[in-house]
Amino acid sequence: MSSTFVSNIQNYSIHDGPGIRTVVFLKGCPLRCRWCANPENLTPGTVLGFLSRLCQNCGRCLRACGHGAIVPGEGVYRIDREKCVSCMKCAELCFAGALTVYGKEMTDEETFRKAARDKIFYDESGGGVTVSGGEPLTHPEFVSDLFGRCREAGISTCAETCGCVPWESFEAVREKTDLFLFDMKFADSELHREYTGVGNERILENARKLASAGAEILFRRPLIPGVNDGREETERTAAFIRSLGRDIGLELMPYHRMGAAKYEALRMEYAMGDLPPLPPAEAEKTAEVYRQLGVDCRVSK
Amino acid sequence: MEVNKKLLSEIDGLELSASNMKWRAAMKAAEWSLCADRDKLAIKSWKETVGEDIQIRRAKLFKEVVENLPISILEFDQLAGRPTRKVIGCCAAIDVAGDYIPDLWDDTEVLGVTMDAAARVDRDTIETLRESVRTFSGPTAPEMTYKAWEAAMGAWPKQAEAAKLKDPSLDSAIFGQCTSTVNFKKILAVGLRGIINEAKGHIEKWHAESCTDIDRLYFWQSTVIVLEAAINLAHRYSALAAQMAEEEHDMTRASELREIAETCAKVPENPAESFHEALQSMAIIGVCKCLEHPPHANPHWGRGDQYLYPYFMNDIQSGKLTLKRAGQLLADLIGRWGTQTMVESASQKESHQINFCINNMMLGGLNVEGEDMSNELSYLMLHMVGLLKLSSPTVCLRWNQKTPDWLMEKAIRTNLETRGGIPLFENDEKVIGSYVRDGIPLEEAVEWCGLGCIYPCLPSRAEHYGAEGVAAFNMGALLHMTLHDGLDINGVQTGLRTGDPRSFKSVDELYDAFMTQLKALVKKIFDLGAIARKVEPKYMRLPFLSSISVQGCMDFGQDLVDPMPDYSMYGISDRGIIDVADSLSAVKSLVFDKKVLTMDELLTALDSNFEGERGEEIRQLCLQQPKYGNDIEEVDELARRISADSAAAITSYDNSPFRNYIVAREGLAWHYYGGLGAGALPNGRKALEPLNDGALSPMRCCDKCGPTAVLHSALTAGFDDSYASVLNQKFSSTILQSPDSMHKLIDYTNAFMKAGGTHIQYNILDTEQLKDAKVHPEEYPDLIVRIGGFSAYFVQLSSDIQDDVINRSEFMI
Repeated sequence: MSSTFVSNIQNYSIHDGPGIRTVVFLKGCPLRCRWCANPENLTPGTVLGFLSRLCQNCGRCLRACGHGAIVPGEGVYRIDREKCVSCMKCAELCFAGALTVYGKEMTDEETFRKAARDKIFYDESGGGVTVSGGEPLTHPEFVSDLFGRCREAGISTCAETCGCVPWESFEAVREKTDLFLFDMKFADSELHREYTGVGNERILENARKLASAGAEILFRRPLIPGVNDGREETERTAAFIRSLGRDIGLELMPYHRMGAAKYEALRMEYAMGDLPPLPPAEAEKTAEVYRQLGVDCRVSK
Repeated sequence: MEVNKKLLSEIDGLELSASNMKWRAAMKAAEWSLCADRDKLAIKSWKETVGEDIQIRRAKLFKEVVENLPISILEFDQLAGRPTRKVIGCCAAIDVAGDYIPDLWDDTEVLGVTMDAAARVDRDTIETLRESVRTFSGPTAPEMTYKAWEAAMGAWPKQAEAAKLKDPSLDSAIFGQCTSTVNFKKILAVGLRGIINEAKGHIEKWHAESCTDIDRLYFWQSTVIVLEAAINLAHRYSALAAQMAEEEHDMTRASELREIAETCAKVPENPAESFHEALQSMAIIGVCKCLEHPPHANPHWGRGDQYLYPYFMNDIQSGKLTLKRAGQLLADLIGRWGTQTMVESASQKESHQINFCINNMMLGGLNVEGEDMSNELSYLMLHMVGLLKLSSPTVCLRWNQKTPDWLMEKAIRTNLETRGGIPLFENDEKVIGSYVRDGIPLEEAVEWCGLGCIYPCLPSRAEHYGAEGVAAFNMGALLHMTLHDGLDINGVQTGLRTGDPRSFKSVDELYDAFMTQLKALVKKIFDLGAIARKVEPKYMRLPFLSSISVQGCMDFGQDLVDPMPDYSMYGISDRGIIDVADSLSAVKSLVFDKKVLTMDELLTALDSNFEGERGEEIRQLCLQQPKYGNDIEEVDELARRISADSAAAITSYDNSPFRNYIVAREGLAWHYYGGLGAGALPNGRKALEPLNDGALSPMRCCDKCGPTAVLHSALTAGFDDSYASVLNQKFSSTILQSPDSMHKLIDYTNAFMKAGGTHIQYNILDTEQLKDAKVHPEEYPDLIVRIGGFSAYFVQLSSDIQDDVINRSEFMI
């Protein structure tokens, strides 16, 4: 039995592996990708979000907070992050849904029980459970325990990973994982460092090891216009995938802005600014280049 | 069955024909017209037949109407037969329902027709309608039944209706089988002439055997009168078409008119021998059904893909008919039947929230051998409704374990095409199983069809759902009464005195009080039904419908309105279970478990409609308690318990000599009407706001755990005691952006049904689009939404219902 912080268990997920799936979002991530759509999952533990748009100025949170961390502001309140001790008492009383808590400690057993509810849908569609995040493999023990339970129950398992974890973490879950959705953000390490804060050496190394260990893999790339969709990067990525000597596919995930509101809630800066979402048709053009380069590539829809 | 895949792909390529498009444009631009021609003729006949038997009088009235009503064939009509001469024309039903149009006596040039449609009327029309009231009002079936009810129970029946505890009101003029299906299979096979001969055979036998039951003789005589009249109507259309052909300069149109002339000379009198003849025969029957009884002018299709299939396939395979022409003819009739309307009663306007009569189209489904009967025509019908994008018909796919994937794919694509709800999915095996459990032979059960949205009915029996003023009762209003010691929403003591809840020591006491109220209500309204059943046949008969639907009427010589124990079905929809489950769950948690509020604090907040000092806080507390729709066992089980206890109260009522009532929780937009019967409730809903829609849909904005959690709640609540349980789910169109994700919705549907789900239907809409549609209705005339089992144009819904649709949690994926 192990436990960790789970930010969301999302059923009827249809874009994260085969069939109808439940995605379990775990907290904590070694990367800091500028376009991250789940910034609430970057840090481990719980984090308080505040959607000022929904705030009704009722003042309940003000009275609930014993640490003076809620500051009445102009029109809406704000949270003084220095003073906040993450007791979450304010969020419990926020009827408007403006204060929201990301992350709840759960055991693998509890998580499994929730996810296993949808077995009828997995069985019908060939779906199962996907762990995502954050980086799920920063919790190898939890994922291993959860997937062990899934295996016993005949539920297929899938791990969505950025690859930037010690190889031992992959080893811990490899036997129990039916499919790795392996993020391949850049083939170029310098660019990787520039946009995610970390070089990609370990990621590529893990990808090679995983491939030669015979694991089922689908590479995925968040396709950011003007960042990782250029000719050179495309060619390097295709060359890397081909170099693994197996027919591993690549799925392109066109850049979207769905996460932007969360940045505001977390009082974080959204580094992508006003960059407009990438139309799927544009992503399709890049996919075609990959296909010409011999990579089985498609665009996620 | 081996399906012709090539034909399916040809169907996929089919577009609406020019005539269909022309009709659609005319229909959308049309001013609604109220036509009093029928009333004029009805008055004349009624005056001439004073003193005759009711069966014969109604037959003669029908004859006078159909043989003399001015008729027209519109420029785009491929089939002849409309109840009025206009694209959208409606009839009044004063001869049936009496003085039921409230604004008729105002100094007005506009009469309200349906929820939000009105018709401009001239002086002559108003005068005719008033003359009709003077002629018919008084001894109509609804008015006489109200008198009987008053004699039996005093003011209670009117009080109960005013408190929205039960519906429909009698002036909605629903009679046995009138909302059900016509036996088209028989009509197409033997023609009306065949049925006339059948009646004549009975008459001869009656005389030969010196029978004495004069009512039976009158019945068969009335059959001959009405069917001959229907044939004459077709012949009049034939003559009109021939004359129009002579005068037509456009050669193509002239040839179409000649074809109409030839076809109407032949059918419905004779058996149909082609797909075209079959549809033409049905068009005439549809007109006659409407002219006999304008309320519910909806000629349900029933299992059209079954009885029309041989005609369709023979013509296509022999090359006699092109697929294009088949689609054109089919679309012509689907469109015509989908835009029938009538002058509704006041309560009908409120409770139905629609402008066109609901007609129902069933697709696929099992036969007696357990084989799925989906075919190429099922596919074509789906395709044509997808192209027409109308709010009616309600299209239902009889889902079963053998429903082929090609039909499911088309069904989901059509949902996307029409923005949802077409078709809806109903668990065929479950419905058939319910019938068989209740003693209906399998060969009858497999022929089940839908009426309304979606109440299952058997074409072999007279369906009395709503016929005696009993179709639904309102649990929201019942809970209101329970919380107020029997006082209804109008402050009248309509319920029993079950005690002031402030004195209750546990939630069980509240539950028991609620069930006591429920049982008392059920007993009373079923008693009212039994009284109505005695009174109605004295004043109303439906000889035409009786001749062409339930075989038992013909065999026994008895009208549908006069129920026969062996051929009558009774049912009711007990509505608002989820509102009650969520409310009781909140009371249990807040007052008895957590003791956050006293009962007095809660009731005071409810009575102030959450407006007092602590009002909003208490409402938020109420909203935060465990709600159905989130896969929370305790509240889902509570819903199951309410369902079972209510069903037991319903099915145990002694309805002898007739079959006991069944439970079928169909939806409509009734939740708006139902909401008018309940003040603020402990689930956090404010006074008079709509209740939850359907039977198993969660409270608006309260299903927060994703779509599959809703289905788990629905499966836990089960409602296995009900023949129908409407569940709406709204999705963003983002879930259907690829063939892959479309297939996942098929898997989702299949998994739910295999696990025992009864009904599911999807709204596939974007919230922003809906909000925009509310502000700019002119830009969204085609936008269809689904509410509790039927679809409507979004822009035609009332503002409340629009908000309701917008507010329903949308699962962005």
